[in-house]
Amino acid sequence: MQPVTRRSFIATSTAGALGVAGAAAIGSPFVSAAAAETSDVLTASDAAAVSGPTLVKIIDAARGKIEILTPHRTIKVTDPTLVHRIARASR
Amino acid sequence: MSSHREAPGLLQDPLADNTDVYAFRTPGDTVTFITSYVPVEAPAGGPNFYEFGNDVLYEINVDNNGDGIPEVKYQFEFTSKNTNPNTFLYNTGPITALDSDSWNRRQLYKITKLTRKRDGRRGQVRYGDPEYVKDNIPCPPCNVGPRSTPNYAALAAKAVKDLGGNQKVFAGQRAESFFVDLGRIFDLGALGPFQNLHLIPTPAGTGVDSIAQVNVHSICLQVPIKDVTSDGRVPSDPLSPKSVIGVWGSASRRTGLYRSEGSSEGSGDWRQVSRLGNPLVNEVVIPTGRKDEWNSKTPAREADFEQYFLHPELAALLPVLYPGVFPNLAAYSKDRVDLKAILLTGIPKEVGIPNFQNFTGTTEADELRLNLAIPINPNPDRLGLLNGDTQGYPNGRRLTDDVVTIELRAVAGVTIPLVDPTFTPDGAAGVIEDGTFPPVRQFLNQFPYIGTPYSGYDVPAA
Repeated sequence: MQPVTRRSFIATSTAGALGVAGAAAIGSPFVSAAAAETSDVLTASDAAAVSGPTLVKIIDAARGKIEILTPHRTIKVTDPTLVHRIARASR
Repeated sequence: MSSHREAPGLLQDPLADNTDVYAFRTPGDTVTFITSYVPVEAPAGGPNFYEFGNDVLYEINVDNNGDGIPEVKYQFEFTSKNTNPNTFLYNTGPITALDSDSWNRRQLYKITKLTRKRDGRRGQVRYGDPEYVKDNIPCPPCNVGPRSTPNYAALAAKAVKDLGGNQKVFAGQRAESFFVDLGRIFDLGALGPFQNLHLIPTPAGTGVDSIAQVNVHSICLQVPIKDVTSDGRVPSDPLSPKSVIGVWGSASRRTGLYRSEGSSEGSGDWRQVSRLGNPLVNEVVIPTGRKDEWNSKTPAREADFEQYFLHPELAALLPVLYPGVFPNLAAYSKDRVDLKAILLTGIPKEVGIPNFQNFTGTTEADELRLNLAIPINPNPDRLGLLNGDTQGYPNGRRLTDDVVTIELRAVAGVTIPLVDPTFTPDGAAGVIEDGTFPPVRQFLNQFPYIGTPYSGYDVPAA
């Protein structure tokens, strides 16, 4: 996965500015962010999971706790790396 | 009102606002549930007439083991369709059938039945796969007027769907069924027939039903009693705990909302934004600062709000607003265990009402409790249990039950002696009312029972 810049973050989202962040996490919601980064190819099931508005709410930035709101459910994830990227992209 | 626009947050979300819940035994060993939403619809609501929220999950919940969690849930989800996007009109000619080509904006729905299964290892509540899903059931149109919706009652009757298994469902616009003198009650607690005794007196008069000619949107469901009892049987012993169910309505929205050009979509889990069991609980028992919190919680968490039931604000206000009228109530400082029983646990048989109880256990939960072993009363008394009619509120709720008067009198103290024989109710407690009975609207003598909605043509200025 390419480093996420503010520009690419917004440009590549298909369902809103936070969609790409949700997609990255849903691929491996309980796996470390580093593991998720070993593959930059979304599987069909990855893509299907975010085929609608997928939003991310940062619950606790310091601890990397986020909620990913997929079209039909909420998933709680701890991923400090992802939160760090979102925070930097949001500045 | 019963629960119309009752919470600061919810009043901005009328499509999810649960206004009333009814549950009563009906012929053929069935029980009928009615939950209404979308308060105070002006009948002349064109060009875009009212409908259910397409992004709202509506539920009828049945608790049959007294834990404040539904064992049976009926879920309703709606979808709207424009058959002709090139006109601004709701209809381009008379709507004479539910598939009429001239009906442009129509709404369909899906009903799903879920049954609770054994909780997870960590105590999480779980439901099995849907017992059934019935989709694409049409709602009737709104009642527009004699040109657009001629013979409306017959047209709407076609929207009663037979689900099989002795089950019927209807979802659509109906006449507001609640009756109350809203204008006076929220003018510092005035009651038409007694306002001459008010702290700020005005001449006594009759009550005025403030919502006599508005509509709501109702979900009506009739199912076999055995489908909702804990043992799958039709109960016959009113004193058996298995005879009692607790019922409430709710509405939920997706946690997140994403807006784009001309549309919006939800995402995440469903989050409850409205609920209703007993009438007037969130309206007058729960304080404003906690009403939306109350709406978001399940009845299983009712203990968080116990203090408001044990010492209701209204009971303290009555002696102040009506000086000298309620001296015994004013002097009563004990917990209102009577209201706790009526609203939160059900009335135990030990209270001594002959052949009656609707106690569901010690778990406090605002549910409309219904003892299904009580046979149908062919001559219902508007005051229900207060007048010895054990089939009436607070044993379930029928459309004609005068719940405002029943609850006013209960709060004023007439039910305290059930649990505290040392108390003598004030004379006024047994006669106060808002004076809106009998209701002016007509109810139906068959399913869906709740009345035909008013048309915008006939009621242009509700």
